[in-house]
Parts: sequence; C-alpha cells; structure tokens
Amino acid sequence: MFEAIAFYLFAFLTIVMFSVTVFTKQALYALTALAAGMIFISAFYFLLGADFLGAVQIIVYTGAVMALYAFGMMFFDTTRNVKEYGRSPQIIFLLSGMIALLIVIIFVVPIVSENITAIYPVIEGVGNSQAVGMVLFTKYLIPFEVAAVMLLVAMIAGIVLAGKKMDYSLTLMEDEEIKLAEESKEKALS
Amino acid sequence: MSLEQFQDRNVAEQNYFHVDIPDYPTTGWGKVKRAASRTFKGELFVGLWVVFREMIKFDIHTVQYPKEKLPVGPRYRAVHEMQRLFESGTERCIGCGLCEKICISNCIRMETKLDENSRKLVTDYTINLGRCIFCGYCAEVCPELAIVHGPRYENVSDQRAHFTDFSDMLTPIDAAISGTQKEFDGFGAVTPHEDERVKTTPLAY
Amino acid sequence: MDIAFLIETVVKIVVILLVFSALAGFGTYFERKVLAFMQRRLGPMHVGPYGLLQIAADGIKLFTKEDIVPQNVVGPIFKIAPVITAATAFMAAAAIPFMPSFTMFGYEVHPILADINIGILYILGVMGIGLYGPLLGGLASANKWALISTARAASIFISYEVITGLALLAPLMMVGSLSLIDFNNYQVGGIASWIVWSQPVAFVLFVIAGFAETGRTPFHLVANDHEIIDGFGTEYSGMRWGLFFIGEYANMFFISFVIAILFLGGYGDGSGLGALALLAKVSFIFFFFLWTRAAWPDVRPDQLMWLCWKVLMPIAVINIVITGIVMMF
Ligand code: SF4
Ligand code: SF4
Repeated sequence: MFEAIAFYLFAFLTIVMFSVTVFTKQALYALTALAAGMIFISAFYFLLGADFLGAVQIIVYTGAVMALYAFGMMFFDTTRNVKEYGRSPQIIFLLSGMIALLIVIIFVVPIVSENITAIYPVIEGVGNSQAVGMVLFTKYLIPFEVAAVMLLVAMIAGIVLAGKKMDYSLTLMEDEEIKLAEESKEKALS
Repeated sequence: MSLEQFQDRNVAEQNYFHVDIPDYPTTGWGKVKRAASRTFKGELFVGLWVVFREMIKFDIHTVQYPKEKLPVGPRYRAVHEMQRLFESGTERCIGCGLCEKICISNCIRMETKLDENSRKLVTDYTINLGRCIFCGYCAEVCPELAIVHGPRYENVSDQRAHFTDFSDMLTPIDAAISGTQKEFDGFGAVTPHEDERVKTTPLAY
Repeated sequence: MDIAFLIETVVKIVVILLVFSALAGFGTYFERKVLAFMQRRLGPMHVGPYGLLQIAADGIKLFTKEDIVPQNVVGPIFKIAPVITAATAFMAAAAIPFMPSFTMFGYEVHPILADINIGILYILGVMGIGLYGPLLGGLASANKWALISTARAASIFISYEVITGLALLAPLMMVGSLSLIDFNNYQVGGIASWIVWSQPVAFVLFVIAGFAETGRTPFHLVANDHEIIDGFGTEYSGMRWGLFFIGEYANMFFISFVIAILFLGGYGDGSGLGALALLAKVSFIFFFFLWTRAAWPDVRPDQLMWLCWKVLMPIAVINIVITGIVMMF
C-alpha cells in the first residue's frame, strides 16, 4: 500500500519536474526542477531497496553534475527569460517525439515479452553496496577499468588544455612585463 | 604596554620595529617549502592558545553601558547648554547672531528684535540637534560664553521636534542664581590665566 | 508496517526537528558568548539573566520583520532557497544515531530516524544538496555580491565533496561498512580503538572539509561579511534570512555529530555514560568551530582551491593507498 502510494507520488512529481525543465523559459526554474527531478528519481531506487544507487544518484547528479550546470549559468543573467530561436519547430517536435517513442519501445519490449531475468539475483545476507561491488569487480571489471582510464585521460587532457598559463600570475608581474606579454600575444595573433 | 605609551603621539621616538616578512617565493620548490613551514610551525596553534588564554583569564573590559558610564572629558562636545549670567540670571546671549552665521550645518536659527529700551532681545532661538555635527564652532565664536557644549551625550528621541527644544538646553534659572552653573572649559572658553592678559586701557600702547 | 512504528517515526521526526532548532538557537548564543570571552568582552547581557533570552528576542525580531522580496528577483526560487538550506540540515540528522537503543515502556526505541545501511553515503548526498540553498538563493537574488558568493559556494562544495569522500574512504575500508552504527561498534573498545588514532590524516582532512562545507571561519568565503556583504543572504530579510542562519548552525551541529561518531568513538559501548560522552565530544567540536573563528584569519578563495586540489586531494589519495597496503599485509 505504502509503496504504491509512494511510487505514484514520486512518479507524478518526477514527471512534473522534468516537464517544467523542458517547458519553462526561465533558466533558474529549469535548473531547480532538474535538480529536484534527480532527487525524486533517487526515491525509486530507495523504494526498490537499492539504497546504494539511490544515494549515489543524489551525490553524483544533484551534488556534482547539477552544480557544474549551475557554474555555466552564472555567466548569464538568470533572472531574465530565455528567448529561443527555433526555425522550424515542427521538425524539432517530430524528431524528438520519434526518439522518445523509440526509447520507450526499446525499454518496454523486453518487459512485455517477459523474458528479462536477473542474471545476478539478490544474494541473501549481502548488503546493497557489497552486491554492487561484486558485480562491478567480476563481470564488469573490464568496462569499469576502461571507464576509469577514459576518465583519467579526459582529466589529463583537461589539465593540459586549461593549464597552459598556470605559472603566469598577473599579481606578481611588473607593469612592463604585463605590457610585454600583451604585445607578444598580439604579435602571435596577427 | 602602559596607557601613557599609547597616548604618546610622538611616533618617531617610539620603538616601532619592522616585522620580518620573507619574500614571496617564485619557484615551485620555494612555495612547497613555505607551505610546509606554515603547516608544521604550529603558528595556527599559537593563535588558538592566545585566544584560549584570554578566555580563561576572563579579563573582561566591557563597560556595561546603561549601568556603567565612562567619564566624559571636560572638553567633550555634546549637547549645547545656554548659560545664564550669575546673580541676575538673565540669559547671556546678546543676540549677536555670530553663532548662526558660523554654523556650518546651518542648524542655528534665531529671531531678534529691539525691546522698549532699544536693547536687542532674542525672541526665538533654536538649535536643530538633528543636524548639528557638534563641531564646536558656535561655542568658539560666541563672545559672551553664552553657548557652550555640555557633557550630555544621550540625546535620543522618537520625535524630531525634541531635538530643537530650547528650554532643554537653557540652564535652569535657579542653577544660575545659586551659582551651581558650571563654567565650560572647553572650546572657546576663557583660559585660566586670562586675567593677567586683560589691560585696563586696551588702547594704551 | 505497524502503527507503533509509524508513531515512533513521527515522534522521532518531531524530536529531531525540535532538538536541532533549539541547538541552532543555543548555538548562536554560545557563539556570541565564546567569541566575546575570547575577545575580552561580555557578549549579550541585557535580555534575561546573562543574556540568555537573547535567542528569544532574536527569534521574535526575525519572525516579525517584514519579508522583503526585491523587485528583480526570481520570486519562487528566491523564496524556497532558505527552506532548502534549513531542510537539508535537518534531513541530514535523520541518519545519525544519537544514542544506543534503549527500552521505554517495554518498547525498544532506536534513537536513529532512518537506520539505512549506507548512512555515510546518505550524509554525503545530503551535504551535497546543501549546496542548493546558497546556489539558488544567490542566483535568484539579482545581486552581484550574491552571485560572487554563489560561484564560491559552488566551487567549494564541488571541490570539498571530493575531499570528504576520499578522506572517508580509508576508514571505510577499515570498518568495511557504510553504516554509522557499524562505525560506532567498531570503536567500542575504549579510547584506544578510536579511528582517529589509526587514521589521523583522514580525521584532519575530514575536519578541514567539514569547515569548508559549513563555511566556517578559516573558509568563511561564501558569506564573507567584509568583502561580499552577506553573500547569498544579502537580499534576504526576516525569517527567510533566519532560515539560512538556522541551517548554518544546524549544519555545524550535524558535522560535529558526524565527526564524533566516525572518528571519536561515537556513543561507545551504549551505556548512559557513552551517550554523555558523545554529547561532550559534540560540544567540544562545536566549541572548536567557535574557537577557530576567534583565532584564525580567512583564506582567499584561490588559496582554498589550491589547498583542496594541490594539497588535500593528493594527501587523501596517498592515505588511501597506504591504508590499502597496510590492510593487505
Ligand atoms: S556645534 Fe557646529 S554644527 Fe552644531 S550648532 Fe554649533 S556650529 Fe552648528
Ligand atoms: S554667538 Fe553667543 S551671544 Fe551671539 S547670538 Fe550666538 S549665543 Fe548669542
């Protein structure tokens, strides 16, 4: 009983939140609604007994990813409405609708045909996080490590791209040095 | 450090010293060394100890204002007092208008007229204390020592009209007659050795 | 799901809300008093005996003040931001075991609201959400100071989430569980078995990160009064600002509880003495928060980032590696 009520409540809330995210013209509403939607999604994990995934969902999506979005938003005036320029809304509507439909079909088909079984059924007496760890470090060890290496590569690349002028401190330079640096930059550009 | 040392404004002769500030490190290794020395020198704990020591000592310096008050210096410039002549008790102000003229925030306003003896009479005198900046010019310029500054610094009110109440500033007449009216030795007051400087015939030089 | 459980949960929620709001109120009083004594002042003295009723006076003042919503703000977001700050601070308290379970009227009471076996992850998650109060409040305020403070809050929270997580990883490996109760039971063997002795580096890192995430003095950059006014709280007035305030102090108590349970032995073996000891530890950590505020200067935002990424994170990683190697052999 409680579970059904909670499920429908959170389903409704999630849908409302994500709809707000898509339909609103106010960037701050979109950000807030997206964050709230992410939290409401984690409620499903908790309902299904996957506490670990629920908490990770909150930490990663709400705590980190959304905060990065917010960083981007600080460069805009978030108190104004966004003006959207769409040349042909029909095509956008059509394409996004098709994609949404496809995704729904892809996920619904195995459920309807009833041939999904859990490869790794829940082991009695083993906690949630242990179960995740077992699967992650046995069957999915290679993808896991590859993902880790890819993230490492991305991080190093990011540092290299951003860190070109890391030893360059305007506060420590004399005025002439700054001028010289500016001139050499202009020369390089022209 | 004693209080006298603080009050001594002769900066050049005091034993000030320069704090030793090391140069800003420019190399990476220098920065590492600085960070390490800052971390392990325990300066942070010195700071913690100092404030903790003060807390234990409980050497409180608070003046609990409405209950205790600090003494006000004799030359303190707070709300004005309009003085009276001793004996007769008439107001000292002769209506010369100098204070009105000099007041830099334009807060003195007076009306005068000639009375039946052709003497100048002040009919209306107000100081708007809401605008006054307590600069003391009015007291300094007054030739009669009529307007002086008093020590009353608590002048809060919920009505702006109260800031212009003349009767509040005027010394009560019985204080003047009984001789308890205090002379002000602040701004513009008579200096102690003024008597010796007074010449019997001012123009005999 | 029987009725008794439901009633128990509701009672616990009410108790936690009341206790934490009261603690937040008394926290402000103690902060003023302790700071005053350390600066040779007396602090609040007039309202009530020794100024004790100052909290009530402040509360009445905040409640009755006009609730100003300035012209260009994004209304709804502006209004819910303080609620998020206060709510996350209280929500975080749900996973804290305050005392060992005891029996009352023949019914066993567990003084923890939600005994989830991933308590630490939950705490990290809620701490992460705590970012949304300053973030939304600052972005919605249409105020430059608020915006600067928002940028700082976002960068600090993202960076120091990493430190909190990495610092906790090493003790986690030793205990082998994400449950706060397991952490407590790991340290029942008296002072010598406290995790702070076996993991001093993790302890220091976690305390530093706790300071950063609650925005207390050495890292008081989010609402640094002398450069960006009150940061994200600049445009707020009355009770909305009060909620930010309550959130900040409730957060301090929450972090104190977490530190005490994770590193300092928690409530120990579960006797009444252990519960008192937990309170003493929490009070000391809270006092430490105030103490540092009196003693230490603030760091600059860039120094804070430098500290996080160039100093604390490598140390945390090295700590994990060493712990792993030691545990392997
Ligand atoms: S003290 Fe200065 S400002 Fe005040 S009434 Fe006298 S002259 Fe005017
Ligand atoms: S200067 Fe003195 S005497 Fe002249 S009007 Fe002002 S108070 Fe009266």
